[in-house]
Amino acid sequence: MRSSAILRVFVFMLVVLAAYLWVGQAITAMTGGERKAASVVEVTPEGGEAIFWGKGRCFTCHSLGGEGSAVRCPNLGQFGEKFPLAIGARAEQRAKERSDETGTHYSSTDYLVESLARPDAYLVEGYKNEMAIVYAPPISLNLTEIKAVIAYLQSQGGDLDLEGIENPGELAQTYYARIAAASAAGGGDPGNGEEMFVDTCSDCHTIQGEGGEVGPDLSSIGNKGLKFISESILRPARKITKGYETWVVVTESDERKHVGLKTEETSTEVEITKATGEVATIARDDIREIEQDEGASVMPDDLTEMLTVKDFQDVLAYLMMQKGEDGAEAETGK
Amino acid sequence: MDREKSEAAIQVTNMQTENRSSRSNYWLVLGVLLTLFSPEVLALEANEYRQFLGIDSRRLVWFLAQMHLFFGAFVLGVPLFAVIVEIVGWRNRDPKLDKLAYEFTSLLSVAYATTAALGGLLAFALFTLYPTFMGYMAGLFKDIMFLYALLFFAETFFLYLYYYGWNWLQGGLEFSRNLQWLFKGLGVAIILAGAVFLFGGFGLEMRGDTRSFIALLYILPLGVGLLILRDLKSSHIFIGILLNIAGTAIMQLANSWAGFMMSPAGVDEEGELIGTLWQVFENILATPVAIHRMLGNLAFGGLVAGAYAAVKFIGARTPAERAHYDWMGYIANFVAICGLIPLPFAGYYLGREVYSTSAVMGNNMMGGDFSWTFIIQAMLVGSLFLISNYYLWSGMTRIPGSERYYKYIKFILGALIISFAIWLTPHNLPLTSQEVGDMGGSQYHPTLKFMGLMPAKNAVVNLIILSTFFSFLLYRRGNKSEVVPISQQGRLPKVVISLAGLVAVAIVGQYAMGMLSLDPAELDLPADRAHYFRTVGYLLIFECVMAVLAVILALKDRGKLAQGLYMTVTALSVVLFLGVYGFVVMEKASPFLRNIAVSQFLQLISCIILVTAIDLYLFRGAKELGKLQWGKMTVRSQYALLLLTFVITMNMGLMGFIRSGLRGDWHIFGVMRDTSPWSYTPSNYTMTEMVSLAVLVFMVGVAFMFWLGGIAAQKKAPPSVPGTEPGQLTDQAGSQPASRTGD
Repeated sequence: MRSSAILRVFVFMLVVLAAYLWVGQAITAMTGGERKAASVVEVTPEGGEAIFWGKGRCFTCHSLGGEGSAVRCPNLGQFGEKFPLAIGARAEQRAKERSDETGTHYSSTDYLVESLARPDAYLVEGYKNEMAIVYAPPISLNLTEIKAVIAYLQSQGGDLDLEGIENPGELAQTYYARIAAASAAGGGDPGNGEEMFVDTCSDCHTIQGEGGEVGPDLSSIGNKGLKFISESILRPARKITKGYETWVVVTESDERKHVGLKTEETSTEVEITKATGEVATIARDDIREIEQDEGASVMPDDLTEMLTVKDFQDVLAYLMMQKGEDGAEAETGK
Repeated sequence: MDREKSEAAIQVTNMQTENRSSRSNYWLVLGVLLTLFSPEVLALEANEYRQFLGIDSRRLVWFLAQMHLFFGAFVLGVPLFAVIVEIVGWRNRDPKLDKLAYEFTSLLSVAYATTAALGGLLAFALFTLYPTFMGYMAGLFKDIMFLYALLFFAETFFLYLYYYGWNWLQGGLEFSRNLQWLFKGLGVAIILAGAVFLFGGFGLEMRGDTRSFIALLYILPLGVGLLILRDLKSSHIFIGILLNIAGTAIMQLANSWAGFMMSPAGVDEEGELIGTLWQVFENILATPVAIHRMLGNLAFGGLVAGAYAAVKFIGARTPAERAHYDWMGYIANFVAICGLIPLPFAGYYLGREVYSTSAVMGNNMMGGDFSWTFIIQAMLVGSLFLISNYYLWSGMTRIPGSERYYKYIKFILGALIISFAIWLTPHNLPLTSQEVGDMGGSQYHPTLKFMGLMPAKNAVVNLIILSTFFSFLLYRRGNKSEVVPISQQGRLPKVVISLAGLVAVAIVGQYAMGMLSLDPAELDLPADRAHYFRTVGYLLIFECVMAVLAVILALKDRGKLAQGLYMTVTALSVVLFLGVYGFVVMEKASPFLRNIAVSQFLQLISCIILVTAIDLYLFRGAKELGKLQWGKMTVRSQYALLLLTFVITMNMGLMGFIRSGLRGDWHIFGVMRDTSPWSYTPSNYTMTEMVSLAVLVFMVGVAFMFWLGGIAAQKKAPPSVPGTEPGQLTDQAGSQPASRTGD
């Protein structure tokens, strides 16, 4: 084959690659260079700005006036007829709206904190409930970073209130507690965790009076700490709450084996509640064998197969918030 | 970049010669040892990073991984291409196709060694520069990695047998009747088992996509391979099928690592295994990535083969050489288009699953750090289709009689350019205050802003594919005079066309039923939005009626009318109606928009299936207006073929950057953070720099291998295939390839 043909093809390839490089260079010149995840320790508007356009990924859904190109969620700057006020000033209006709706006093800080901690609490008309939980993976902002973002948003046309952000009223404090609890649990989303709990766990467990009674009441489970909850889900048989041991009863008449909790016991009968909720009442005369199985739990042992990493973190976050009457969940007024 | 990282653990393979083989075994032993001594608990330790000679470790791994992936795609794509060509040649008793398949297999052997060496280098780089991360991955995936290594042995064995056994297994020596029946019985049993598996008879615990992947790419080909076993040549094809099954399995295993890094499953937030290895393996993105890569490899393999043919054509000294390489380029491009057409849909599915994994990751992909990278991607993919069409149109100049169809080209070109322009339109651009003022104070252009939204883009991508398909239909019938009545062609066409119609109705019909019964609450929509679903449901039912009508017309010898009617209805429905309706849905029932995209895809794919089935018989045995004049192509068209190869290679690099970059500052999304100094998303310029470098080195490497292959071919006699002497080639080539492979 002629070497000139090879040369021509090689030059052609260089031209194509040069065009490709030019496109990359032109686009980078227009849209900016590398995106580094900022690490912020100070609660300032500048710190919040770095989080907004960096680690927080806020810019992937929100524009800020003419900055950014996202349209999925409301523009947080002053933009057209729909958004005549930037978010700092807008938050003060919304705080009034929220106060009227809920009967609870909202400051603009409360409104902004709520928007980040529970984005579904108030939806701007025409937009969906699709904001990510920013304190859950993969964004995983910590409380300081969230406070910095609030400072940045307040500075957009509003009155910056750093003291109010650091020491807010009761409502915002409740949300701060929620964020802190979620962060402690690896940054799960407690809202999704609640849904997971209702779907997967509430047939057997009760929280705040709702749910089944086969397993222990979990209304105060958050007080026992993350490690205990995590172990209880992953290895339920390792530490069983007193009164919830697993019993095995074999009957004389039909040689059936009943496995479950011993929920009632009289001189003539034993009542076994199985994991399915089914209750078997067995006459003592009919019992051939009855013994406690210390190595087993009535709790399903295939939970790990049913949960993804995210689901697990979400459920943990939800359970971490269950601290009884005085716990975080009660404080949110849910 | 993730597959690359994980693939490294044992990326080692076999080679053509003993020397190469021993070198690859060294890498294999290294990989296995590294895997053995990698405890899972490393996930819980602080990440450790190292550097080699002060080089940015991420860039080093990026480059090595990209090179390994390019060569890996080549050695997986080319056997696919070679076996398809060999099967077509065998079915049509065409020795030239057989020779072509052999020629490409011979190129494969050198690339195989390079892939393995690069894999070993990548493994070294990863284990030494990212010890904590790789230790964790190797600990978690050690069983799969061993399986991966064993599959390499299987692939090496099949490749040796396939390549060196070509001459030996050429003969027509038939097996005994009993043996043939045994193979047939086994084949039927495996196909039936595969069908039961595919439709959920067992293995229901698997994801649907994984089940389909295994059924369609492993079980079905294995069954078909056994079913056709009757002599030495079919045994050779069966070996080729086994070679591809082993290659595909290797790819799937490696993809599970890449998928795990994006969508981890079966582990807790600290990375400890809490589920099963199967859950870890079958994470959400493993199969979508594998499907996308499989089609990409097919297109890539075809186009690299096409580039080889183009370079040979440009440097050809005789008309016979030009004819041969022109024909080779045509076949390669044809195979590539077969992979390219469904690729956007596989990409859409992958994107959807990315959103399912994490909305944050999805938003970052389409609206965040990578939104502009996707604009570059749109330029590249649009170019691929535009250039493919150009190549087909150029090819029509060698077909006597195709002048009749030239008049359509300008319309197809118009449709492609408009579609391309819409596809490229960003929703908005960073603007100066002056520019904002000129546009009436809005950030968005009053008209063009609509072109930047998904409904418009979905509509035009379908139009691009439909236009390319139309170009191909014109090419196929270039030198055919009149249609041949299907009623006079026996029972087979009636069965095939009816079956194709049934498939089309089944594909569209099942989705129509889904739309008619969809509860708005499932999409978080109020009940009054149900009519948006119903409208689409009725439209799909209408499409089914049109499919039935097209089958009836075709069987009544009105095939052209059937094709025209069905394609027109599909174009109107997919592009015009759903394109506009998408905006309505976006405004009133936005979550339903993804269903619109799926319904567009299903209609289009059904249309392609049925129209192709009709076309297969419409001109079968039709009188030809002249022989194809292979070699009578412009040199410009060969540069188009080369450009296609460069573009697809650049696009592969770009897409790898997006997929890997989506994890942001996580090695394993949500589980293991990237705390290295390189934990940031590089700019698009950096991406183009890295990808360009990798493309340049890969292309030079491939050219060198082709040159080596050429030397070896000169020393060795080609397989004894009758009718392939250069003198004969020009005459014969003109008569057969298009009609046999294209038909």
